[in-house]
Amino acid sequence: MRPNDRSYLKSHEWCKIDGNVATIGISDYAVSHLSDLVFLDLPNKGSNVTAGESFGEIESVKAVSDIYSPVSGEVIEVNKELPDNLEWLTEDAFGKSWMLKVRLTAKSADLMDGAAYDAHCAAEG
Amino acid sequence: MILRRIDEPAIAAAANMARDEALLLEGDTAALRLYSWAPHSVSLGYFQRHCDFADLGPDVPIVRRLTGGGAIFHGVEVTYALALPASALPTDVEASYARLHDAVVAALADIDVAAVRLESGAAPGARPTSRWCFADPGRHDIVDRSGQKLVGSAQRRVRTQHGARVLHHGSIVVERPKATPFVAAIADQVAATRQSELRERLAQRIAAALGMELRPDQLTPEEDALASMLQRDRYDSDAFTRMR
Repeated sequence: MRPNDRSYLKSHEWCKIDGNVATIGISDYAVSHLSDLVFLDLPNKGSNVTAGESFGEIESVKAVSDIYSPVSGEVIEVNKELPDNLEWLTEDAFGKSWMLKVRLTAKSADLMDGAAYDAHCAAEG
Repeated sequence: MILRRIDEPAIAAAANMARDEALLLEGDTAALRLYSWAPHSVSLGYFQRHCDFADLGPDVPIVRRLTGGGAIFHGVEVTYALALPASALPTDVEASYARLHDAVVAALADIDVAAVRLESGAAPGARPTSRWCFADPGRHDIVDRSGQKLVGSAQRRVRTQHGARVLHHGSIVVERPKATPFVAAIADQVAATRQSELRERLAQRIAAALGMELRPDQLTPEEDALASMLQRDRYDSDAFTRMR
């Protein structure tokens, strides 16, 4: 079972909320289905993200995928080391490969808990 | 499910990319667009740097694709764009390539072109060393007997109001471009005039691989309007083409 201390989107992003700060990343399921990651583009500190809208892009050898935000708010920290260390995503999708910290103003209405997300992944195959 | 078959003449690079993106974003249909390029052009992978292609000179149009991978010189080729719900393909990116590329290999065999999909071996390196898509055959790529790459391909995966969708680009080289002499070409094996037959077989094989029924179609007025906007605001825009 995936960590239950955070919430998930169907598009395979997670967010962990602590007070008014949300930490955002992508799940192990997303990483394993992309394989061989090549590039990652993240927004700058100070920019704003919107729940349900794309905030970044990730390229595997064979596909570019958009990354969608589980929350709305201002980006207050970016994991700048991650684009140069994409293997972290394979090693630890829920820990050191976090992508953004956002000062939260709103959450997506479509967030799932860990159990519901596990079921969603099982259904996708 | 219906697979819309959209045959179009050779048009400019920016218009081609805009029409593919419109099919990806507008609506929830499955569409296979078959086309070519006039004038011949270079398309950059989404993450590539424009400045790495300065040596091509001002006479070669350059467009940035929405899909990833390396650059392609689009000369005489059969190009296809498949825009469809993600649920119509395997979730796993590599498995989706295997499904589609087996169909492309079968279509090539239908016109007597020998090609294989590389089933094993390493994927290209994490940071590809060559700027050209065709220079580095990797797992699931389609190569000819000599091991040279014959088909370039890349995907974009997005989520729209209609759910998760995929754009899959493919380029089958008919005649080897001078700019990329290391590619394979179907003209090495059969007459280049068989490219129209290849289009036909490609559409049938891809539809069969997806379990869909082919239906001739064209862009809807809504898709056409979106394509015009995307061409103007994105693909004809230096801000997008030179964003990296």
